Amino acid sequence: MGVPAFFRWLSRKYPSIIVHCLEEKGKECNGVRVPVDTTKPNPNEVEFDNLYLDMNGIIHPCTHPEDKPAPKNEDEMMVAIFEYIDRLFNIVRPRRVLYMAIDGVAPRAKMNQQRSRRFRASKEGVELTDEKNRIREEIIQRGGYLPPEEIKERFDSNCITPGTEFMDNLAKCLRYYVADRLSNDPGWSNVTVFLSDASVPGEGEHKIMDFIRRQRGQPNHDPNTHHCLCGADADLIMLGLATHEPNFTIIREEFKPNKPRPCALCGQVGHEIKDCQGTAREKQGEHDEFAGSMPVSEQEFIFIRLCVLREYLARELTMASLPFPFDFERSIDDWVFMCFFVGNDFLPHLPSLEIREGAIDRLVNIYKDVVHKTGGYLTENGYVELERVELIMQAVGVAEDNIFKKRKEDDEGFKRRMKEKKKRMKMDQQRGPAYMTTGQFAPHALGRRDRPEAVQNARHQAFDMRMQSREQHNKDAAQSLKAMIRNGGNSSAGTSDSADNRGVKRKAEDSDSEPEPEDNVRLWEEGWKQRYYKTKFDVDVTDEDFRQKVVKSYVEGLCWVLRYYYQGCASWEWYFPFHYAPFASDFKDIKEMFTDFDMGTKPFKPLEQLMGVFPAASGNFLPETWRNLMSSPDSSIIDFYPDDFAIDLNGKKYAWQGVALLPFVDERRLRAALADVYPDLTPEEEKRNSLGSDVLFIGRSHPLFDFIHELYRAESLEGTEIPAELCHGIQGTLNLDDDPILPDKAVMSPIPMLRDISQNSSIGAKFKDPQYADGFVFKAVLLSGAKLPEKVLKPEDFERGNRGPWRPQLGFNPNRQQAHLDQSGFRALGHSQNRNHRGRGQYSNAAPPSSYQQGNYRPQHSGGQQSYQHSRQNSLLGAPPSFHQPQYPRQQQYGGGGHGWDRAMQSQQSAYQQNSSRGQGGAGPGGYQQRYDQRRDNWHDRRDNRGQQHQGYSSGRGYPPPPPSSRYNWN
Amino acid sequence: MAGERSGEDIVSDYLGQNPQLAQWVETLRGYCETRKQWLARREFILRNMEAFPTVEPGVPSSSLDRLLSLSTVWANHVFLGCSYPQAVMDKIKEMSEGIVVIDAPTHRTTMDGMKAKRSATTEADADSCVKKAKCGPNELDSRPAGRTATRPVGQKSGPPPQAPAEHQPFFNRLYKAVAWKLVSAGGFGPNLDHFEILRSCVESCKQTLSCVFVPLKDIAGLPTARTQKEGHVCEIRCQTVYMGTGYGRDESAAKAMASKEALKAFQGRKVTVKICRRRYKGRDVEDLMLLDEQPRSQGFPPALSYPFQDEQLEDGSS
Repeated sequence: MGVPAFFRWLSRKYPSIIVHCLEEKGKECNGVRVPVDTTKPNPNEVEFDNLYLDMNGIIHPCTHPEDKPAPKNEDEMMVAIFEYIDRLFNIVRPRRVLYMAIDGVAPRAKMNQQRSRRFRASKEGVELTDEKNRIREEIIQRGGYLPPEEIKERFDSNCITPGTEFMDNLAKCLRYYVADRLSNDPGWSNVTVFLSDASVPGEGEHKIMDFIRRQRGQPNHDPNTHHCLCGADADLIMLGLATHEPNFTIIREEFKPNKPRPCALCGQVGHEIKDCQGTAREKQGEHDEFAGSMPVSEQEFIFIRLCVLREYLARELTMASLPFPFDFERSIDDWVFMCFFVGNDFLPHLPSLEIREGAIDRLVNIYKDVVHKTGGYLTENGYVELERVELIMQAVGVAEDNIFKKRKEDDEGFKRRMKEKKKRMKMDQQRGPAYMTTGQFAPHALGRRDRPEAVQNARHQAFDMRMQSREQHNKDAAQSLKAMIRNGGNSSAGTSDSADNRGVKRKAEDSDSEPEPEDNVRLWEEGWKQRYYKTKFDVDVTDEDFRQKVVKSYVEGLCWVLRYYYQGCASWEWYFPFHYAPFASDFKDIKEMFTDFDMGTKPFKPLEQLMGVFPAASGNFLPETWRNLMSSPDSSIIDFYPDDFAIDLNGKKYAWQGVALLPFVDERRLRAALADVYPDLTPEEEKRNSLGSDVLFIGRSHPLFDFIHELYRAESLEGTEIPAELCHGIQGTLNLDDDPILPDKAVMSPIPMLRDISQNSSIGAKFKDPQYADGFVFKAVLLSGAKLPEKVLKPEDFERGNRGPWRPQLGFNPNRQQAHLDQSGFRALGHSQNRNHRGRGQYSNAAPPSSYQQGNYRPQHSGGQQSYQHSRQNSLLGAPPSFHQPQYPRQQQYGGGGHGWDRAMQSQQSAYQQNSSRGQGGAGPGGYQQRYDQRRDNWHDRRDNRGQQHQGYSSGRGYPPPPPSSRYNWN
Repeated sequence: MAGERSGEDIVSDYLGQNPQLAQWVETLRGYCETRKQWLARREFILRNMEAFPTVEPGVPSSSLDRLLSLSTVWANHVFLGCSYPQAVMDKIKEMSEGIVVIDAPTHRTTMDGMKAKRSATTEADADSCVKKAKCGPNELDSRPAGRTATRPVGQKSGPPPQAPAEHQPFFNRLYKAVAWKLVSAGGFGPNLDHFEILRSCVESCKQTLSCVFVPLKDIAGLPTARTQKEGHVCEIRCQTVYMGTGYGRDESAAKAMASKEALKAFQGRKVTVKICRRRYKGRDVEDLMLLDEQPRSQGFPPALSYPFQDEQLEDGSS
């Protein structure tokens, strides 16, 4: 969903939905990689049945990664994709189903967004190259150094669109990959693999939803299937909730903000292209040994537990004394619906609802106010009750004026604060500390090999320092005096005098603050509605008809989107034909505005969709006569392909947030124009242009194997139902594949660097989801027999006295065993630590602890000292790693390499200290502080240098403080 | 009389006489088109029907689609700010001659603040007495929308590539003259009359200096803190080669500052004439610059004058 902030908002508000993944890494022994045995129980202490992969979330980072060098060619890309899937498979270890869905042709409603993305990508690419060339020239003229331009064909990420050769190859490679794993990896042997490639219409995640929905609708479905869906889009959360499956988990890469990106010109990290100076590369590490390695750790994964989110939502949405019975499942659907107001891929969001301003909370409050009047829920099974929605919209509309005013105030406050901060930072930077000791008193990094030497001739050194500082003062004074004289008291205007240091600095800084784009709409001023319609739609506010048209389309859009999430694509042709949304207050008399969608609409063919979403610059993915339609002045669809287009920032700051003002595609004219060039397709292209089918693969030991093998032997031509008992209750129709993967038939490797599978023992067949009659409505309810998972959140009525202290649950297993170290173990540790206090002993060779285990810290149970050591011990001995706390510094401490252990300990301690000082422990802090002090006494003699502690502390401080989390409230 | 009536009136009169045509043309309206956009596009279609003789009202055909496509290209260009390949743009420019759109919106196509203003009517529409859309003073230099506007126009209108080589000998001579002059004046310092030194040296080399003065308040695009009421900026060139820019409270102070700036380049071991890119009136242009060997820590101040702006540039922008 086009709401990048949604996930962040959600995870801050409902922190317990996130569980960090434990990943067992493959080991290496004498240079041979030992694969992970995925038949073993899942180290996350949960067993998943089905794993669904939204493949586009995998393909993009694997083909053009942002944090590592790009793969050199298509083969390497494929291998990267395979490895990524392996990794996910290893973490999730599905036991029944692996479903891989690649985006196929999307509904028209989505195509507009795709079109805008692809046109933008093309435009940005051109602009980046222009800028690169310009700056390169400038730098070289200035005598800077830049590495020679790499002559390399840029991977056009636009080829990740159904219908291109690349996608066709990908599908072939994935077939090979599946056959290989089914034949060779024991963890796969009982898994049913579905591959829905780009030739099957529908977006990846919606194909997955369709699968789940259609399996749920048939009687053999196991209501307690544990689903795990992989993908980073926020709308997966909505989709997961919309299934009403009780066990639904999403896995995604952990989001790490502000990852350093190398400059596109010189390849160094730390500045953007426009600030590139072309200076020589800094040495990485003492002997440049870290050159070429990027300072990033491997992406880790997190689980998002939707059952926990449901618990949170139950708390938030439950309403007493309603005029109708409260049904939690229905209120979830309403919540999902309201999230669409804030943003989705198919509609622009309402101008007054901005997720960063707490729009969802506002909506929920309004909802709870209004629901008494509406007399029922807003939605049912994905159908919208428009008159009730109107009440909500009107309530939002009343607040609209104030929202805009407040937005302006906040914005200005923010700008002011940023300006002050910048000023402050600059002052700090320029001035530095008032006084620095120098010479032998100069600050030294700790833990270096040359140990501190005895101070010699201290008095003379002190004298030197004194004199030096006085001289410095004199110099400064002289300089400022000179500057004053030179400018004749007019120093602020130093436009030209570049010898004048101050003038130059000032100038550079001013040009730094980019001019704000003007905002003609001024939503915060009287008459905003008029101006909005005038500037955005170019109509007068009096043009009631036009406004009605926009509202009507938006209402249709809301209905379409909700239906899409709950019932599947209602219309392949519907789309929102404007660039902007109306105001909430415009939603009047909307009940009559929507009846139903046209039935029987058909998706585009892949190449037709390519014509609909590609800019002319990406025309190389199309046959020549088709491509000509995108550029020839005589083409009857030339208006779809502007060279350049305007981007309206629409109150936002960055171009990528703005609205691309692209013309919409006229479907009739597109089809008419293509009718003429269809005969030009080669058979190969025609094949790519046809709609394909999902494919099912299984290995030899799967119960269904013989059944399918028999189908091939019998050459049965019609579709055959899967016997439900053979495949965990999964239903569907099987058809023979034209070019099937069959056991004992070698599978040729499409990638030169990988071997052919000579001993293939997998089989594949076409698969079709169970079909339902037209007009069938999938019920958005919990299935009978579904067991809700145990509650994770602390009950609100939890009393401390009678049930003991509350223990937060940190993983999937509420009764997880925690590693424990007794007194003697601790003594042994202390002993060895004492001996190696300079960090060069045996422990410095041990792998650094991979994480901090806040979770093991149990102050109430045992002495604080002891439990603290638990966590330390855990990480040190490489016992089963426990919970990762992403907020805490990880890389930084081990960056030095040599002194991992000592420093880690110190900063870990300080991390605790920091926490306790945040006062989140409730009753905790007092006691904890005390224990901490005790411990500090114990340690005093062990520490080789107390200063180190402070160092560790300050390195911890560089990270943003963790968001308030209920995790620390243990009472 | 007819000239004073808007094209819209003429069109509606025409359609009033041809009700069948009116009915048909109404079917071509897009669902999301505003009235204003539609009326403009309708006029475009009707005016160009004769040029597509195979178009018959009520009969779908590929030539009708081509006409519709071009009408949309034009409307997208005027109302959305899209631009198309040059051949297409030329074609719609020709086809749209005489159509007047009052008060067309403005859009920006690039992020560096470049305003791409499309004036709605074709600029060649000189004989029409219709009042044109109100244009601000800076919008008069109407440039074609889109990337064409942001592309450095240097290739066409900048200094010829051989210019640095042509100017270099003169500046070598000037370098020597300045060096001697400074020696006799006791070295470069703040207490010299810089302009006088520079002027006499240049004149001793049989050339003259040209100074351009611009009041500070007339320079657009300065940060607000910089926009002072008073003060002037001076730019010194010699033989079209840029030498320095300076600011002062009055013109002579600005000139002195600019000369001082120019003389700084002569402090190195030699001076070189180069073609460099710099800003001029919000655009990137290629300019002839006199430089010393030192690498520059920052960009150049924007140019105040641009001697290489020839007719070609003017042509390209209309």
